[in-house]
Amino acid sequence: MNLASLLSKDRVNLSLKPGKKDDVINDLVYSIKKGNDAALIVSTLLKREELGSTGIGKGIAIPHCRSLAVEKLEIAVGRTSKPINFNSIDKKPVSLIFLIIAPPQDPGNQYLITLGKIVQIAKEITKKNLIQKAKTPDEFIAMINEIEKSLTKRK
Amino acid sequence: MSDVVEMHLKLLFDLDNLIADTEEPSYKKMGFQLEEEASLVLIRKRNELLQQLPKEIAQIYEILKKRYRQAIAPVESEFCLGCFQKLPTELITRSQNITTCPNCGRILYWRKK
Ligand SMILES: [Zn+2]
Repeated sequence: MNLASLLSKDRVNLSLKPGKKDDVINDLVYSIKKGNDAALIVSTLLKREELGSTGIGKGIAIPHCRSLAVEKLEIAVGRTSKPINFNSIDKKPVSLIFLIIAPPQDPGNQYLITLGKIVQIAKEITKKNLIQKAKTPDEFIAMINEIEKSLTKRK
Repeated sequence: MSDVVEMHLKLLFDLDNLIADTEEPSYKKMGFQLEEEASLVLIRKRNELLQQLPKEIAQIYEILKKRYRQAIAPVESEFCLGCFQKLPTELITRSQNITTCPNCGRILYWRKK
């Protein structure tokens, strides 16, 4: 499954409000779900963060979990104008966040495959210094599509 | 099931899935940071949650978890997503208390629309 096809432009927020790590995660989750469902997802995501930050370094974080609160794989992207502290592996602040939530029942393990793909793409974004490049959500999704294609070709 | 119990049960379930995922080889290869004691911390947390649940629910959950990897199954258009069997009508109209699938025994979960 193509990653760009899992992104929708209303879930790509390029002017995400900077704030504390927990608040930023909260804002992104509420763009996917509301109420008790959102509360459950946030709790599970924060438990995952307690095990070690999902800030993979060089300005990007990929918070992720499975949750009973979603029916299908959901992805939200946020970019902050000002980098925020995410307790990242390299201690550097983060300005691009890919948030991914998967349902518990997941035929074909789409979740781990997609998560792995996002990690690869995130590394390309930092390598080519593309974090702030896209001006609109459409441009962002097109950029992801390009990177994904170049990675597939390389294989 | 009260809202609080339901929330605890769902969080317990999410945590158990989190523990299972962090042990997946393909997950470990991705290079996410994981504290050395990560799974111990999670197991402690999930045991705390288990103790906060009413005893009978905790027991059912633990038995089911041993039998299947996932003790809870969502219901989708009258089907149990654990065993993909259609649920009897009388069960679909009942939503109080803990309800289990008559076919596979998993705890059923109705998503709010
Ligand atoms: Zn069943």
